[in-house]
Amino acid sequence: MKRVLLIGIFSVVGLLSPRAGSAQDWASMTEALRNIRSIKAEFLQQRTLPILTKPLLSEGRFFFQASGSLRWEYLRPLRSVMIQKGNTLEYYHFSDGIWKPEVTQAVETRRMVITEISRWFQGRFDQSTVFQPLYSPGPPGRVILTPREGVDQFIRRITIFLSNRIGVIDRVEIEEPGGSRTSIEFKKIEINSSLSSEIFEKP
Amino acid sequence: MICRRGQWTALLGFLFLFSGCIPLDQADRHTAPSLNFSECPELFPTGPWESVYQIEAIISGKVFSSLFGVTKGDPAQGRLHSLLLTPEGFILFEGELGGNGIVVHKSVPPFDSSTFAGGLMEDVKTLFLSPAGRPKIGREAMDGARFCFWEGPDGFRTEIRGSADQGWQILRRDAQGETIKEVSLNGPYIQGLATHLKLRSMKPASYRLKMTLIQVGP
Repeated sequence: MKRVLLIGIFSVVGLLSPRAGSAQDWASMTEALRNIRSIKAEFLQQRTLPILTKPLLSEGRFFFQASGSLRWEYLRPLRSVMIQKGNTLEYYHFSDGIWKPEVTQAVETRRMVITEISRWFQGRFDQSTVFQPLYSPGPPGRVILTPREGVDQFIRRITIFLSNRIGVIDRVEIEEPGGSRTSIEFKKIEINSSLSSEIFEKP
Repeated sequence: MICRRGQWTALLGFLFLFSGCIPLDQADRHTAPSLNFSECPELFPTGPWESVYQIEAIISGKVFSSLFGVTKGDPAQGRLHSLLLTPEGFILFEGELGGNGIVVHKSVPPFDSSTFAGGLMEDVKTLFLSPAGRPKIGREAMDGARFCFWEGPDGFRTEIRGSADQGWQILRRDAQGETIKEVSLNGPYIQGLATHLKLRSMKPASYRLKMTLIQVGP
């Protein structure tokens, strides 16, 4: 009986540990991500909703600097950009030929999402207060983020698919209760290239 | 969070107090040839549909948000299912309007009040569902512009005016005859849905919505 209980405890601990896969893989993966100084990439976002027969597609690009700057920009179908510099978060929307600042809604939630994304690109999965990480070596290597209590009303699970190129994220899938999901696929990824400071200024 | 909700409510209250009173339009009193009611413009989808619009919400001249508005409708059942999404795909509001009234499935502050849910679903209904019953009056002006209006049991009126060339307008008036919503629709029309919509709300809150059709189905 005691043995069964101990096996049960070890199984649960194993599942909850980020090192559920190979400890070496996890260590090398997080170390590679932590050596990233900058990222430039394009992305394709697919938003699947149970009420829509076709997913809603958005295209954009993003720029990230480990020093604390991020630009997440949608190019199609709507043009909007979110710029984070340190603790400052600003939103702009392109309309009638000009960029207009937005008095945006749900700021705290959107800030939380951006903070999480910044952590993922630096391999700091275990620093999240919102998600519990679990590493699966694959292939493809994956980090599965399970929400803690409260957030699970909105997000069931996030899966980060890692590229064969160590330290690079290929795709992120966000599953919600009720069958909605979001998939973000990254392409044309450039790591540690030089990024102009103007990228993180207001457009 | 409570503080922000309070600020939002205060803003809406302020806008309500200072929104202007619009005089009752006299268009229906013009002398013009009567129309068969079947000739009143049908600006709304007639079968089940789904749509995604880009929405720019403007309050007091400021762009409040650029959002996606997703709606699925079944006109025969009088049912509407709507979502408001951020560009990142985060759901701010999800609600349904049907036989049981409004059912809110999901909402986050400041979109989590019953006042907001009622206002949003009323806007969606004005934009996409034909008024119930037959029009009370249908007329055609000398320049070919048509005018039809429906009166509900609550005394509220819906007016449709315009022409294919000039574009169409929908007006909602309260029981006192004051305009509470004004919608302009411009083509091209895809599966019965206008590509460009502008909604101006005067009561109970003052705001403007500029909407562009992005996706239509099924």
